[in-house]
Amino acid sequence: MKLLLAEDEPDVQLIARLALKKAGFTVVTVGNGVEVLQRVADERPDAILLDWMMPDMDGYETCRRLKADPATAAIPVIFLTARVQEAEVARAIALGAAGCIGKPFDALTLGTQVLELLQRT
Amino acid sequence: MKIRTRIFAVVGLVIAAAFLQALIVVNVEERRSAAAAALDRAIWRLQSQADLGRLIVELDASQRAADAGGPAVPPAERDRFWALYERSAALLPEYLDTPESKRQLAAIDALMREWRAAPAGSDRAALMGRIRGEFDRFETRERSRLGDERIKVSSQSLQSTLLTLGIPAVAIIMLLGLVAFVARILLDPLKSISTSARRISAGTFDVSLPPESNDELGDLSRAFREMITAVQRRQQEVTEARIKAERDHRRLQATIETVPVALVIVDADTGRIALQNRTAAALIGQEPEGEAARQAHWRAFSVTTRDGAPVDVRAWGAGRLLQGQTIMGEELVVKHADGREIPLLVSAAPLREDDGRISGAVAAFQDITSLYEVDRLKSEFVSIVSHELRTPLTSIKGALQLLIEDQVASDPDHTMLLNVALSNTERLVRIINDILDISKIEAGKLELNARPHAVDEVVRQSLQNVEPIAHGALVALKLEIEPAVPAVRVDLDRAIQVLVNLLSNALKVAPPRSDVTLSVRRAADGFVAFSVTDRGKGIAPDKLGLLFQKFQQLDGANTRKARGTGLGLAIVKALVEMQGGQVSVESTVGHGSTFTVTVPAARTVASSQ
Repeated sequence: MKLLLAEDEPDVQLIARLALKKAGFTVVTVGNGVEVLQRVADERPDAILLDWMMPDMDGYETCRRLKADPATAAIPVIFLTARVQEAEVARAIALGAAGCIGKPFDALTLGTQVLELLQRT
Repeated sequence: MKIRTRIFAVVGLVIAAAFLQALIVVNVEERRSAAAAALDRAIWRLQSQADLGRLIVELDASQRAADAGGPAVPPAERDRFWALYERSAALLPEYLDTPESKRQLAAIDALMREWRAAPAGSDRAALMGRIRGEFDRFETRERSRLGDERIKVSSQSLQSTLLTLGIPAVAIIMLLGLVAFVARILLDPLKSISTSARRISAGTFDVSLPPESNDELGDLSRAFREMITAVQRRQQEVTEARIKAERDHRRLQATIETVPVALVIVDADTGRIALQNRTAAALIGQEPEGEAARQAHWRAFSVTTRDGAPVDVRAWGAGRLLQGQTIMGEELVVKHADGREIPLLVSAAPLREDDGRISGAVAAFQDITSLYEVDRLKSEFVSIVSHELRTPLTSIKGALQLLIEDQVASDPDHTMLLNVALSNTERLVRIINDILDISKIEAGKLELNARPHAVDEVVRQSLQNVEPIAHGALVALKLEIEPAVPAVRVDLDRAIQVLVNLLSNALKVAPPRSDVTLSVRRAADGFVAFSVTDRGKGIAPDKLGLLFQKFQQLDGANTRKARGTGLGLAIVKALVEMQGGQVSVESTVGHGSTFTVTVPAARTVASSQ
């Protein structure tokens, strides 16, 4: 299963990538939302993990655009966010996201959490 | 000498003089009456002398007639004359005063007897001539003596008259003297003292007083002088006290005006501001004259508590301060019509009169805008720093977890070191999470999403969370849920956080192979109680009160094992109370502790139990 991971913090990006790789995912990483929109057509990932807060284009805006484009609207989007407040989650779901995973995430269970959220949709 | 003694002496002298005068009068009167009596006797004597003379003449005449042979006087008649003469001669000496007169009379009498006894034919005539000569001399001398008596009596009378007139005059003079004496020794000094008293009343202490003689007036004078000294000293003290009071007042005034705290003194009777300093005037303005203007003035700003609840500041103060309460450091917010909001720290105390009556109140308002700002900056700082710390720590933790999971270290020591690094990283993350929670709670920014949740949902997730710790500590987790316990209305994540915290604490202190029990039951007033009981060492009673305070960690053998942040229970307490519940603890040293939290039951959702 191929994941597109957008995370601006290189260390977090690395840990997430390794953790997901260990869980059996193929992971493509980018540093911001603009790159996600540029790469999504080429990579055709099974799911996209978006950091909520990123420079240039944040996760929320990126998700909105992904869902607005019929070519990418079907790809499940999962947010990585420090603000796991109900209101934020509700906003994300309203955008069509599959769910949210709280930051800081647990490296050993990150893959399991992604799978759980994908299975739910 | 005492004045009393002197007056007694003078009055005694006057009385003695009066007595003496009376004696003199009596004496003079006696002498006058004696002289008068003597005069009477002299008159009687003259009469008797005259009688005696006549009888001598009669006797001589009758004798001569007999001798001449003329018409003789009968002898019986002559004998009768003789008898009369003898009687007279015998009586007369009684009226004679002097022995000489008596001797002369006796001589005359002797010659008479010689004359009578003379024989007929003898020269009786010659004898008679001698007798009559003697008698004439006698008579003449007595007559002159009578004159003396008269002079004596009249002189006595004059004396007596003079005395009668003189004594009262002397008495009057003596009385005047007495009055003058009393005036001099008594009234003059009294007058001088009363004049002095008037001058002192008028404020002049420069007075002349009678000399301090050794008597009652001297005592009075001394006492008066002491009184003047005392009054002067008292006045000096009063003056000094006034100067000190004025100085204190000026100092206080300057202090009140200088402190950056708004000070207001309110009069209880009028409800008006009696005194306020510049800071207060800047804060709430000057209270205007006139009731309508004052009402408008007080409506120009509103007062609320920190939470925004409106406060009627006058009722708020009067209701408590006039009952004698003191207000210490309460927070109020003044909102001006122009939009300014000033947070205030208010302290106030009633002002009492000497008799204890509350006559007003003094209130101090401190503008704590800057404190609020500092508090806000602190929260922001803590929040930002914590977030910034958490991100790299997460990376470290993730990296370590992945390394350990892959068993990259060939040397078991390396694996141990990696585990040490991981556990310390996890601890650091927990500390940061706790600090974030506390700062959110204190800043009032923690949002709770309370919803009905079945008890077993809360309990199951909590137990799952601590299962690995229990396993490692060889402690058995027991669950006791009362049948038909209602669902609870809580923020699920926070409720789990609370139970996990209590369970982790219990597991830390629980000895190996003991039980930690989580029990759930109905509590009073629509609440559900969750209790976590351990069989640890227990907590000393004096430590129980500290448990829920920030950064309190109990000492003991388990310290190393039980290292936490010192914030856990403070967060538990805040989270539970924010959801309307309560936290309590019971502990017996040597037997263990039970922590109980209560949370509201959800009435609308049935429990799955």
